[in-house]
Order: sequence, then C-alpha cells, then structure tokens
Amino acid sequence: MRKIPAAVLGLTLVLATSACGGDDKSDAGTAAKPTNCTNKIVNEAAPRVLVWAWYPNMAKVVDNFNQQHTDVQVCWTNAGQGQPEYEKFQTAISARKGAPDVIMLEADQLVGFEIQDALVDLAPYGAGDVKKNFSDGAWKDVSQGNAVYAIPVDGGPMALIYRTDVFDKYGIKPPKTWSEYADAAARVKAAGGPVFGDFGSNVPAVTTALMIQKGAQPFVYDLADKQKITIKLDDQATKDVLTYWGDLAAKGLVGKEDQFTTDYIAGMVGGKYATYVSAAWAPGYLTGSGVGAGKDKGKFAVAPLPQWDAANPVSVNWGGSAFAVTSQAADKALSAKVAMGIYADEASLTDGWKTQTIFPLNQGVLKSDEFVNAKVGFFNGQTANKDIYIPAENAYKGAVYSPFTVFYYAQLQAQIVKILGGKTTGAQAATDLHNQVVEYAKTQGFTVS
Amino acid sequence: MTARRTGWLFVLPFLLVFVAFLLAPLLYAGYLSLYTKGLATGTTFAGFDNYTRAFGDPSFRKGLRFVLKFSVVVIPLQILVALIAALVLDEVTGRLARFSRLVIFLPYAVPAVLGALMWGFLYSPSFGPIEQVAAAFDVRAPFLLSQGNIFYGLLNVVTWQWSGYYMIIIYAALRSIDTSLYEAARIDGANARQIALRVKVPMVSSALALILIFSLIGTLQFFTEPQILTPIANGSVTPDFTPNIYAYFLAFRYAQFNYASAISFSLGFVVFLVVAIFMYATRKRGGLFT
Amino acid sequence: MRPRHVGAKLLLLALCAYFLVPVWWLLVASTKNAEALFSGSGALWFDGFHLVANLRDLFTFNNGEFGRWLGNSVLYALAGGVGCTVISVPAGYGFAKYSFRGRNLVFALVLGAVMVPLTALVIPTFVLMSNVGLVDTVWAVILPSLLSPFAVYLMRVYAAGSVPDELLDAARLDGAGELRTFVRVALPLMRPGVITVLLLSIVTTWNNFFLPLTMLSSSKLFPLPVGIGLWTQLASSNNAGGQSLWNLIIVGSLVSIVPLIVAFLTLQKYWQGGLSVGSLK
Repeated sequence: MRKIPAAVLGLTLVLATSACGGDDKSDAGTAAKPTNCTNKIVNEAAPRVLVWAWYPNMAKVVDNFNQQHTDVQVCWTNAGQGQPEYEKFQTAISARKGAPDVIMLEADQLVGFEIQDALVDLAPYGAGDVKKNFSDGAWKDVSQGNAVYAIPVDGGPMALIYRTDVFDKYGIKPPKTWSEYADAAARVKAAGGPVFGDFGSNVPAVTTALMIQKGAQPFVYDLADKQKITIKLDDQATKDVLTYWGDLAAKGLVGKEDQFTTDYIAGMVGGKYATYVSAAWAPGYLTGSGVGAGKDKGKFAVAPLPQWDAANPVSVNWGGSAFAVTSQAADKALSAKVAMGIYADEASLTDGWKTQTIFPLNQGVLKSDEFVNAKVGFFNGQTANKDIYIPAENAYKGAVYSPFTVFYYAQLQAQIVKILGGKTTGAQAATDLHNQVVEYAKTQGFTVS
Repeated sequence: MTARRTGWLFVLPFLLVFVAFLLAPLLYAGYLSLYTKGLATGTTFAGFDNYTRAFGDPSFRKGLRFVLKFSVVVIPLQILVALIAALVLDEVTGRLARFSRLVIFLPYAVPAVLGALMWGFLYSPSFGPIEQVAAAFDVRAPFLLSQGNIFYGLLNVVTWQWSGYYMIIIYAALRSIDTSLYEAARIDGANARQIALRVKVPMVSSALALILIFSLIGTLQFFTEPQILTPIANGSVTPDFTPNIYAYFLAFRYAQFNYASAISFSLGFVVFLVVAIFMYATRKRGGLFT
Repeated sequence: MRPRHVGAKLLLLALCAYFLVPVWWLLVASTKNAEALFSGSGALWFDGFHLVANLRDLFTFNNGEFGRWLGNSVLYALAGGVGCTVISVPAGYGFAKYSFRGRNLVFALVLGAVMVPLTALVIPTFVLMSNVGLVDTVWAVILPSLLSPFAVYLMRVYAAGSVPDELLDAARLDGAGELRTFVRVALPLMRPGVITVLLLSIVTTWNNFFLPLTMLSSSKLFPLPVGIGLWTQLASSNNAGGQSLWNLIIVGSLVSIVPLIVAFLTLQKYWQGGLSVGSLK
C-alpha cells in the first residue's frame, strides 16, 4: 500500500515540472553545446550556433562558414524541408524549449512566427550593415518597419517557362499578356496539342502572387500595431484571377493537377504541359527532379511572366528563404552574426547559383558579369538571368503577408479545389475565402478592417 | 497484505512509465485545453468554452462524420476479409496455406508510412499499374485519391495494411478450439460451411470483439495514411479531413495548441462513447475486462 | 484431396495476389533506375536491372546517412521492444494474479487512456522531455516506446489463462518468494505470450513515425521511416543536387521492411501461438 503515495507523488512531480515548463517565460535557451551536428566542426574550441536549414548544398555552405570563422562554429541539421521544419519550430515555440538558434524560413512564414515573439529583431545586431546587399523588395519581405527579422538568401522572381518543341509545333510565340496566354492555350488545344499550363490547388502561393500581380492587396499588416489587420480578398482583382484560371481549367486548356508530385514531374518530362508559371529557382528544381535530362533535353526556354497590362508590368515573387534568429537562441549576438554571415560568402553563393540550387538575392552576385551573362543549360544556353530573372527581381516591390499565412493558404487551396471541381465560381470563391479569413482573424483577436 | 504489496510491485514499473508518458501529458493537455489563446491576444482562462466550440465547429463535425462513416465500412470489411481468410486457412493445409498465411500477414510488417507511399505509386495516373491495365483496355482508370474516390482509395490501403494482422488473431483463436467439437457437429450431420458458421465463428466471437474495439479506436483516430497521401491527393485531404488531422493542423500549423487539445479530448470522448455503446450492446458475450 | 478445397485454394491465391501486389511492385521497382521508374509502361514488370547500383547509392548518399538510420532503427526497436516487454510482462502478471486494491480502477484507466489521440500528447511530452533535457536524444524515442497498454492487456489475459493458481500456490508452499515464483514458474508457462509481446512491440517501435518525428530534429538520430520521410520531402519539394531520389526511396523502403519479415519468419511458431491469448478466456 505504501507504493500508492509514491505513484501519486511521482505524478505530482512530473506535473509540477511540466507546469513549470509551461509557465516559464524566460527565453534563454539551453547553454549546452549542440552536438549531433550533420557537419564536421572545424574549430572545436569556438562556441557553437545550432542551425536548421534545408538548402541542398547546405553541407558545403556550412563548411565554408566554419572554415572562415574561428570565433563561432555552425552546427547544422536538416530538420525538414519547409512545412515539416515549421511544425517542429512551432512545437518548440509552444513548449518554450527545443528551438535552434538560427532557422531557415520562407519569407511568407516570418510574420506568423514574429507575432508569437519567436524571432529576434536583428536591427540592433547590425542588420543595417548588410541591407545594401539586397534590393528594396527583398528587404521589405523580411522587415516590419525598422525591425528586421531575417536575412534573405534567395528569392523567386516569377517568369513563364515553356516548351520550345510545343511552341514551335503549333506556331506559338511566348504570350506577353494573360489574354494572349488564354488565346494561345485555345489554339494549341484546338490543334490537338497538350494542355497549356496547370492550375494546381497545392500552390496557393502562386495563385496569391498572380492575384497581387493583378493589383490585389490581400493583407495590410504592421507588427507595430499587432492587433490590427486589413483583409481584402473579395476585391475585383482576386475574383478576376480566380475566374481566369477557373475558366481555363473548365475548358480543359490547363491541367487541374497538384504540383511537386512525381506525376506532375512525369508530365513535365513528357511534354504534357506547354508552360510552367514558376519562379527563378524552378530550373534547379526541375533539373534535380530529372526534367530536361532525357528526351526533353534542351526543349525548355523562359519568357517574362505574362501581364494583365503590358504597358504597366508588375513583377511578383514565389518562394525564397532567409535566415532568422529565434528568441530561444542562447547567444543572440553570435547567432545574428551567423544569420548574416551564412550563405553570404562568395564561394557559397557561387556554388548555389551554379548548381542552380538558389536564385541569389545578394546584389554582389546579381551584378557580377559571370552571373549576368551565364548561359543556362536547362534553357538550352539562353541567358535567362540577364534577359528575364534579374529584371524581374529588380522590379519586385515586396509583399505584405498575414500572421496566419498557413491558414490562409489552406482556405485558398480548398477554394481552388472547389473551383476545379466545378462547385463554385471564381467570384464566389473569393467572397467565401474573404469571409472565412476575416472570421478566423476575429476569433484570433484581431481587429479587422 | 503482502500479496497486495507484491501486486503493486509487479505493476509499478509499468505504472511509472504510464504516468510519465501518458497520464501526466494527458492531464497537462487537459489543463491546457481549458485556456484559449488568440494570435493577436494573450492566453486567457476559458473554462469549457473550447469544448462547446469544438462540438459546434463545422470542421470537427465534418471530420467526425467522415471517420464514423469510414468505420462503418472499413471495420466490417477488414473483419470479413480476416475471418474468411482465417476460416479457409484453418481448413486447408499444405504449402500454399503456409505461404498464404505469411503473405496475408506481411503488410503488418510494413510501416504505415511506407505502405501509404507504395499505394501512392500504385494509384498514380501516369505510371501506376492500375492506369496501365486500364489503358490496355482503352479506358481511363479512376484516380483513387480524387475527391470523389479517396474514401475507396483509403479503404483499400487500410484493409490491405490491417486485415492480415486480424486474420492471424482469429486464426490463432481457431487453432485453439477443441477439435472434438467439430466431430460432434459432423456426427450431427453438419457440413464444413455449417461448422464454420455455427461452431467456429461463435467460438472466436471474443477475438472478433477485441479486434473490433481496437480497430474502432484506431479508425476514429485515423491520421497517418491520409496525412502521408496528402501531397499527392490533389487537395482531397483537407485540414479538417479527420478530427485528428484537424487537431494536428491546429497544434502545429495554426499555433493553437489549446484548442487542438480540446479537439483531441472531444474526439477521445466520442471514441469512449462509441466503444462504451458497443460493449454495452455485446455485454452478454462476456466482458473484455475480466 | 477433397474437391471442395479447390474453391478454397483459388480464394487463397486471390488473397495472396492482392496482399502481394504492393510488395511485388516494391521489389520490381527497386531494380529500376529513376528513368524506368517513371516511364509509362510496365510498373509491375522489370525494366533493366539496377538493384546493386541502387543499393550502393542508397548507402552512400549524403555520407551514408541511410546506414546510420538503419542502425538507429535497430537500436530503438531493440531497446524499446525489450524494455517494453520487461515492463509489460510483470505488469500483466501482477494484474492477473494479485487482487490488490485499486486494481480494476487502474486497469480501466490504462485502457481508457488509449482512447485519447496521440496528437494531444505531443506537446506535453515534448515539454516533459525538454525539462529533463532529453529532447533530440535517443531517450526521447526509447522511453515513450516502453509504454504499451495493449501489451499489458495481452499479458494479463495470457497470464490468467496459462498460469494455474495451484502451481503458484505450490511454489509458495515450497518456500519460494514471489519474484522467484514468477521467474521460475510463471514465466516459462508464459513464454509464447512473452515472445509475441516482444515481437509486437519491436514492430511497433520499428514502424513508429509520429513520435520520433516530433521528438527529434537532428537528422543523425532519425529512424528509417522518418529518414525516408525526409528524403521524400527532399525529392518532391526541392532537389537533391541533380540526383533523383525516388529510386533510393524505393530501395530504402525495401531494405527497411526486410528485417521485420525475417524476424517474423524465424519466430513464427512462437508468435502465432501467442496471439491466441487475446481471444480466449
């Protein structure tokens, strides 16, 4: 019988420690040296900063950094690509322990973590010194007023990738406007050709970029006034863009398949899609997936993204990542140094763009002759950087994201699925989407206007 | 007195682990579910508000409807496949029977994650065998993960994964039946089918009940297979596809752990209710907890 | 052979075909290179033979991290499986053979707790683990794997059915202590049940995905399913520096199910007997 109190005691103890953990407001991380690094530590004596990142050439990048630094060493692990990594980070935020010092995040995810006080403002740690390395648009994506929450590495200015074999066969020139795009799609289809593009439900970021291109401004938000948000998803531009793609899909002019799947890639290789509305990192992604290596070698080219108004072109962005310092970082100054220094040296950046792993945002690279004049193998030697991607990046104005990007994307995806299933219209989808997101923001305590 | 103490000593190591890794986290989650946290606002005490909100939440109810509907179909199907296979294996002997027993059981040894991954390839509309067979007959095979078909696509994956495990449990129960019962039935003029239905099935009814309860708990908490198939399911697996997926989204993607806990407990309550109803309905067959 | 078995055998063949198709596909696909994998014909038949090359790539990609994951899986499965058995068997025996106060209440609590989904437990467990500094260590995977209410349930029923009270009483009369009685008298009688529980808990730990996924962030510590999950993310969200990963993922899946199949084959006479336990009173 004496064992019962012991069990009860154990339970109380365990609970007490859990409760303490939950109430612990201190943001100091573990002081213990991170071990289990995927990379080799060059200078054993130096303090270590734990980094989560998923760039494919990260091993080289980390080695470059560690060899160039004696005062700090990066201990790196790949905790997941994108969403899975964010889920781990979210667990650590909720538990108030277990986050890395420095974390790779996509620009559209930043605000969602900033509002939870999970990221450190890097301005006091000298972020202003590296501002000159980036375009205004790229810098705006990681800033809130004067506060800077991450240091950009790569971006995704958007363009239109197309199959030259399909375009030649049906006598099509790269469309300059979206109405030309729709016409060309109809012509190819009428002549018995493949679908012209794809309206995938699982790339809501693309649809959002295309809405912004038409003039939509889905969110106005400033962390300085964190309870206030302006949401506008039922405007004409949003309705037009959803209707436009919904119509193309309904007429069978574009595919309805999700992207980033093996089926989609197989379709790209097989010439099932005449165009791919995508970002500057796409050639690397496609090459890595085996596109452009076999029968389809040399059959891809790139043109500027079609416009709604050719006289007033708008440049938009999809994807791209940055390094942020978490508020659980043990040594914030040192972590900030890593966030600013990693993937910022010439060797890493050069390796990144030459292996087509990233489209760099560092102006030093964007202006270098070698990068500007590079003939891109995937595009059959086209000088894609000079002709397409650098102008697109320079014209990019930056975007404003909401603190609940993941929720918004999920709702947009659900609406796109409905549109593709013929269960709603573009205009109705925009209205429903607007109402859902506004409702959600209100339950989260925002004042919505 | 000593016997009692010894009893506790035997159970103690397990109880410690149970308290540390199930009960304590559970109580802590229960405590958290009484609070509410908005992104823009701080954490406030909410009492049972999260629970009233959960049962009125269309997303939770939608997921619940799906898993209930799915249970009603998948559980009888699995048990039927398992029972038929076990009865046949109990009757037939030889190399084929031994081989079949292993093959049917094999999927249990495949991690659910990999099983879903494999079926994803098999379902593929561009390089999967289903489409290839259909193409040979000049028709298009249905995409089993599309919105209209995902119910069946998942039905197949789950049946494949678990039927063999259940089959083995039933088979083991069949093997331990006293064979003189069959002789007696045969003397009474019963044929093999009648023996199977009138003697064998009633004799393994408690094994069937056990299977039913465990698969009921598992199916109501349905998570892994749809979650793994999400990236290739063309948007069919929504964030509120099942209650457990909904709780997962809330906790890890929407930063709402408090509400996610309430959803999990609400689901736990539904599971408890369904299991209790089932046990009450079958109580005459002999309890499971004795 | 009586003719009525023909129908039964045909049925068995059909069942075999159904349950084998995905495994057969995995076997065939493991021998293909990336190009043949996605070419539009013959998913269920061979096209070139690249199994050896695939295996070599599998164990060398990213400094051979797959080999590390395999080792981790073995460690977790053995530690978790053996530990779980060591804890569950005495517990089941205790519940079956001693009527201590609160027994039924505790047992009901154990079974009732199974009904709340794991999702609710992740963050509290994470908090618990991080407070004792065990997050992102092997212990964060092994310790929670020790818990298996199902194993305890199985052992309780098995002990009740296979260990006669008279034998225990006889041992006690001979002056044996309670522990000695358990080890010398009860345990040998419960052997098939113990092996079944061991095997089932090894499988559960080996196949576990959600727990290690949430508790581990260092890819060096991943077990196979989580590691393969990381590769599928890598393969579909970004690129692997010009190398298609899908053939590695497929051959890796094959490699990760082989050990369990071997374990089941070699131990089948034990576990098939042991499983009858849950069903008979």
